Amino acid sequence: MSKGSNNKSHTRAMLLALVAVPLLFVVCAALQVRIDAETRLMYQGNEELLLRSGWLLKKLSLGYEPLLADIYWTRVVQYYGRRARKPGATYESLWPLLDITTTLDPKLMIAYRFGAVFLSEQPPVGPGRADLAVDLVKRGIAENPDEWRLYQDLGFLYSIHLKDYQKAADAYLEGSKNPHAQIWMKVMAARVAEAGNAPETSRLIWIEVYANTKDELVRRRAMQHIQSLDAALGLKRLNESSEDYWRKFGRFPNSMQELRDAGLVGGTLQDPAGYPYVMGPNGVPQLNPKSTIVLDADQGP
Amino acid sequence: MSVLPGVVAINTFREAVRDRVLYNLIFFALMMIGAAILVGQISIGIERMVIINLGLSAISVFGIIMAIFIGVGLVYKEMEKRTLYSLLSKPIRRWEFLVGKFGGLLLTLVVNTSLMTLGLGLALYCVSGKFERSDATILVAIYFILLELALVTALALFFSCFTSPMLSTLYTLGIYVAGVFAPGILGISQFTQNWALGAITRFVYYVLPNFHDFSVIAAAAHGDAVPLTLICHNTLYAALYVVLILVAASAVLSGRNLK
Repeated sequence: MSKGSNNKSHTRAMLLALVAVPLLFVVCAALQVRIDAETRLMYQGNEELLLRSGWLLKKLSLGYEPLLADIYWTRVVQYYGRRARKPGATYESLWPLLDITTTLDPKLMIAYRFGAVFLSEQPPVGPGRADLAVDLVKRGIAENPDEWRLYQDLGFLYSIHLKDYQKAADAYLEGSKNPHAQIWMKVMAARVAEAGNAPETSRLIWIEVYANTKDELVRRRAMQHIQSLDAALGLKRLNESSEDYWRKFGRFPNSMQELRDAGLVGGTLQDPAGYPYVMGPNGVPQLNPKSTIVLDADQGP
Repeated sequence: MSVLPGVVAINTFREAVRDRVLYNLIFFALMMIGAAILVGQISIGIERMVIINLGLSAISVFGIIMAIFIGVGLVYKEMEKRTLYSLLSKPIRRWEFLVGKFGGLLLTLVVNTSLMTLGLGLALYCVSGKFERSDATILVAIYFILLELALVTALALFFSCFTSPMLSTLYTLGIYVAGVFAPGILGISQFTQNWALGAITRFVYYVLPNFHDFSVIAAAAHGDAVPLTLICHNTLYAALYVVLILVAASAVLSGRNLK
């Protein structure tokens, strides 16, 4: 073929490619969206863990255990993230995934620390298995005895989720013996031993979690718990004012305004999300129905 | 429509047969016979499942190895041997040559896969003594494997137009592996807090050929039906993607100075 006709055919092919390739990419992407919808239905609830033995996977990994552990940790995060706050979600593969991850790489601190948070959260945010979380952290301590942060996590699990304040104080105290441990570990040990079930103590622990965590997911959860505790404290104080009102007028107030008019409360009566508290039946103050705050199970008015 | 792509395809197929490419069937047959004998001895209740899983996985792996290793040399080898020059001096367009090469390798893979399917069927019959209605899903799984192979062949052919077989193998294999893990890539976009990273991973997810959706081996092993709409959509997706890659490959090859 002549040079001229070659050039012409090349130009034609290039023009066709420039038009057709992006167009076909768009069509393929649109088709992919439909295929995703179909496969989502097909594989719903079909997420299986075929190999549940971390030991076996370690043998099969041919020396690439750390890489495999990283991949499994990514799976943990995706598995948890996909379910958290989904009504009716179950977390049956969370523990096996964490077990495999920490067996493959026993030094992977993040898996112990965040894994314990994921396991211990109450439904629908987590499986509510604080017992397994304690096992995980204890395993982490056995593998990494110099990591004082794991003692902090253990104390956190015992005090916040299991309400075993003596064990929590022991954990904080044990961790505080580490020369690298922060000074507040000792303070926490004393505080939990003295008034473990006080909301102020829980708040202090969550604030420590919030301040010492870089992960956005855990920070967000910690902030939700702090706000929830603040809201619970606010409701508790309003409830006390409502009882004062009853003592003074022989009936419960029907609105927040009545409390305010009686001079029993002042300032902005809002929850930490910025929604005003409302007065419920029998003078029991409640969260505004529009509020984004969710009170923890063991709190409430 | 010109018959020239067909001629190139037949010759590509003949060349593959001459190169004893189909000898892999012997290995496949031995593996299936061995599995059929062994599985009965060492597994209880899942003999059929093991045979289906093993057979389909082997068909897929053998096919992909063939598609990549033959595909990456299809154009490059012709340029190296300078046979392409004499071929293009005939009244054949470059895109026709490419389509012919693609068709030839796909024909080889179809023949190879069909023979393996026969082997799998035989092994299955030996193990369970009958075929079940739900075994139709096995044929769907094999059809999906063929769609996957068509995509891999097109990719290998594309890279073969402008780079060496070694690099083409790496690129094709890389895209294949990334395509298999495509849902993981989309997962990153769903969980990252970084808007830019989310946008990039979503873009990559939709641009990459999604090989994950072609895998219904588990459904075949459990006798689960595959929706007809998924079959149609996957077929359309593979066809469009192959056309896309071949158009791009034609543009690349047309720009090559073959003097």
